Amino acid sequence: MTTEELELLLVQQPIALLHRLARGRIQRHFRAGKRRLIEVLLRHSVENRAGFESDLLTLIGEQQARLVPPASQAPAARKPKPSAPQRRTTHRPVEPESHEPGVTLSSWLDGLGVPPPQTFVPDAWQEDAIAKLRESDVVVSVPTGSGKTYVAVEAARRAIAENRTVIYTSPLKALSNTKYTEFSKLFGPDQVGILTGDRRDNGQAPLLIMTTEILRNLLYDAGGGEIDVRLDTLGLVILDESQYIADPERGVVWEETIIFCPSQAKLLLLSASIGNPHDIAEWLTTIRPTPCHLIRHSTRTVPLRAGYLHPNGKLTPFFRTIGIPHGHPSHLHPEAKRLFAQYEDETLPSGRRR
Amino acid sequence: MPPSIHPVDLIIALREKHLTPAIVFLTSRRACDEAMQAFDHSHILLPPPRQQAIATVLEKVIAQYPSIAEHPLIPTVQRIGVAAHHAGHLPSWKIAVEELMRHGCLDAVFATTTLAAGVDFPARTVIITQSSIRKSRDFMDLTIGEVQQIAGRAGRRGKDLVGFAIVTPSPYIDLNVLTKGFTGHPEAINSQFVISYPMVLNLLKAHPLDQIQPILAKSFAQFQLNQRAEVLERKLDDLRDQMEPFGPRVCTDWITEWQTFDQVRRQKSHRAPVRRHEPPELAARFHFLTPGRVVGFGRSRGVVLRQYRSKGQKSPMITALRLGGGITESPASTVTEVSDRVLDCVDAPVYPWCTPESVEELLRHLEELPGRLPELPILIPKDNEPIPDAIVQTLGDFACPTCPSRSACQRDYPFASKLRQEQHRHVKSIQALRTSLWHRFQEKIDVLQQFGYLTPASRLTDDGEWARLIRIDHSLLITELLRADAFNGADPAMLAAVMSSIAHDDDRPGAFPRVSSGLGSLLGQVRKLAVSLSPHEDPPLLRADIAAVTERWIGDPTLTWIGLCKSTTMAEGDIYRLLARTLEFLSQLRTLKGTHPGLADSASRAIAALRRGVLEELP
Ligand SMILES: Nc1ncnc2c1ncn2[C@@H]1O[C@H](COP(=O)(O)OP(=O)(O)OP(=O)(O)O)[C@@H](O)[C@H]1O
Ligand SMILES: [Mg+2]
Repeated sequence: MTTEELELLLVQQPIALLHRLARGRIQRHFRAGKRRLIEVLLRHSVENRAGFESDLLTLIGEQQARLVPPASQAPAARKPKPSAPQRRTTHRPVEPESHEPGVTLSSWLDGLGVPPPQTFVPDAWQEDAIAKLRESDVVVSVPTGSGKTYVAVEAARRAIAENRTVIYTSPLKALSNTKYTEFSKLFGPDQVGILTGDRRDNGQAPLLIMTTEILRNLLYDAGGGEIDVRLDTLGLVILDESQYIADPERGVVWEETIIFCPSQAKLLLLSASIGNPHDIAEWLTTIRPTPCHLIRHSTRTVPLRAGYLHPNGKLTPFFRTIGIPHGHPSHLHPEAKRLFAQYEDETLPSGRRR
Repeated sequence: MPPSIHPVDLIIALREKHLTPAIVFLTSRRACDEAMQAFDHSHILLPPPRQQAIATVLEKVIAQYPSIAEHPLIPTVQRIGVAAHHAGHLPSWKIAVEELMRHGCLDAVFATTTLAAGVDFPARTVIITQSSIRKSRDFMDLTIGEVQQIAGRAGRRGKDLVGFAIVTPSPYIDLNVLTKGFTGHPEAINSQFVISYPMVLNLLKAHPLDQIQPILAKSFAQFQLNQRAEVLERKLDDLRDQMEPFGPRVCTDWITEWQTFDQVRRQKSHRAPVRRHEPPELAARFHFLTPGRVVGFGRSRGVVLRQYRSKGQKSPMITALRLGGGITESPASTVTEVSDRVLDCVDAPVYPWCTPESVEELLRHLEELPGRLPELPILIPKDNEPIPDAIVQTLGDFACPTCPSRSACQRDYPFASKLRQEQHRHVKSIQALRTSLWHRFQEKIDVLQQFGYLTPASRLTDDGEWARLIRIDHSLLITELLRADAFNGADPAMLAAVMSSIAHDDDRPGAFPRVSSGLGSLLGQVRKLAVSLSPHEDPPLLRADIAAVTERWIGDPTLTWIGLCKSTTMAEGDIYRLLARTLEFLSQLRTLKGTHPGLADSASRAIAALRRGVLEELP
């Protein structure tokens, strides 16, 4: 392809494809308009023209494959697009018929109990997160109770061993206090400090715990020229419960903290399950020196079951299946349905029934 | 039947099925407290060894936090193995309950959902009694993410093979919210970026004005705005393709040419257009109220199914599918918000104007939409403006009547001009998306310049240099108070009291001590200033009764915590939070040593006086 041909081909592509092509190649490509983007892409293509052209052709091919009716889904399915929220996928096992009776209470309760004691073996995703944190920022979005703290602790341990300062932030003072106690036990009290607005306990320790607001203020002070905490040796910043970035009142503080986080420090964002963790990761990739790694999964380590307890003390499964039927809100257990209808009948003032 | 299960019955049922320990999420603190009272005369006691285990853990916690030694809930906790945990409690009490849970000592904890994200204790079972949560004075349905965060506390790794989330109904519960929450994907989260005065000052301290825009562009807010701009750019690409056949003809800009010609021709023919007495905004909007468009009606929301004009008045009307499933016919003027969102909808020639599957689908999408949607920027055309006479007189000069392209232009004009309008609209929206943060930043700069914190060149003035250290809510009010020397001669108690009344944002009434007359008049002054600043910053509540609580605590060093709590109806957890927040505000004033030594000193003394008893227990 000559440069003119390449340019012509680029001009013919929709901007979305150009952005996809720019991903990982050009920083902040989102800010560029189409013409500018093509210019930058062309300039960039000089570095590895063959690779660039082949990526471009692949993308064009994928796009055409997507336009072909769904019968030939194979090539598109090979590369799942994370940005489209998965909705009612078709490859789920066939669901039971609606008139099929639900599980019995005893089979629903079956399996309840305490697991035999096991030696601690980190999960693959935990290992992965810790390993990736060597080279890049990491966003972890996994269900509640999965073991995000372990990732934070191990990453902190490594950074401390390398003589780097670690900052751990949580959204709430109460949570900071709990973690202060927990980490002091783990690392030894002299290794952990806590900072609040008016107090500073063991502020010289290598692992510092604070609320996100306090960290934001430290970063502003550093920006204004006042050096406070050893930001120059800062190696790791852990933002726990980072889904708070969507908090209407305080969310902006997480954004400020991330924007002003020194570039030599790695960022570790721990978050409960959210719908668009890839957006957060992609955002970090565009503004931080290294591409951000996303660790996500939605399977709970301890399986969850849902039940319904009637005010008269009768317990029944909530869904027809033992586990939670993801994607099928209508699969209520007939008994739960019946009892709840009865409840509404008896408690709603007449006329309010739906 | 009782409206909800009795707490004692609940615990009996859970114990019988081996579903303990459990966290019972209740709607209010009051419900938690009442649940605890229900055990006062109950006989479902724990076996003595378990009671002993609780006592041992409590002893340890009390050694660290003496304030909870006499806690009124201790007897029930110890006898029955249940506890309450909510924002009305002291942090030290909450730590004690969490510690008991971690040791597996309790069978159940009654907690409010507000705490679901903040507590650090899992259990085998979670009991859910509600489907909505109080958020800033309003009840809102739980989101999928929230339901999963609450339910997700069930099942402890290493201690449970399975976790159980059990719904037990109470009045006003909506089962659909919970089933959707259990089975759905958590919602995408959105940036909530706001530009505050301290942000502007601190950024301009560290960076010259011309570097600010790139910094704002690094925000998640801009990232998400760009994503939306990208969608529009894709639409623009499509439009450009569709415009292909309508490129230059005999004249380059034939669309404008034809438009003018056509308008003039109509005016000439004296056929006055049907004049409808509707405001141009309405006419402009009506154009966009097409099937599938998501619109707001005051506080509710709906999707347009069709648009039409009423039989008699010919006023613009729409049929809309509302949240909840109702289909309504309403004047287009009742639409308060036209969003930039169009849902897919398959038209049908008869009521409900789209296929039944479509209705289902629309309803589902409608429920899943985020709370706030981007509004559609609508240009209001000034098409009633008469064409200048000069042009009319030159009608003879139009080339159109004899142009070879005339019939093509006449045929294509309606479609082509619609496409072009759409193009203009998209270009405008994209521009707005790319620059809105910067405009908001500039608005704040304007105010700060007006007040003299920034120079006309947007550098920090002397006042700006210290004002940037005040990084709390109501920062403008606080810095303006300092510039007005409002705290000159105010003692530490008064200073702290005013800070409390600025910090406190809860308007729940209660009984409180009275303020001293000095504090009363100072608060009057603060209120006056706050009102005058209200165009630039929302005024705080400035409750005198709240200020009085702080004034008493600092003013009288012999006052005990219990004594303070007795002087008001506020829960002790709330008093604690009020004073903790005041500490935070005071500590920011303390950083102004260099420029306001007197004030900083007063703040330091207030902090020292405030931090005693319970307030000394935790960092
Ligand atoms: N690999 C593992 N094997 C067994 N248990 C583990 C493992 N990793 C973590 N745990 C245990 O899982 C429990 C929950 O962990 P943790 O508190 O870190 O969860 P989390 O993801 O932070 O949840 P939350 O969303 O509530 O903050 C802890 O008791 C922890 O010891
Ligand atoms: Mg955690």
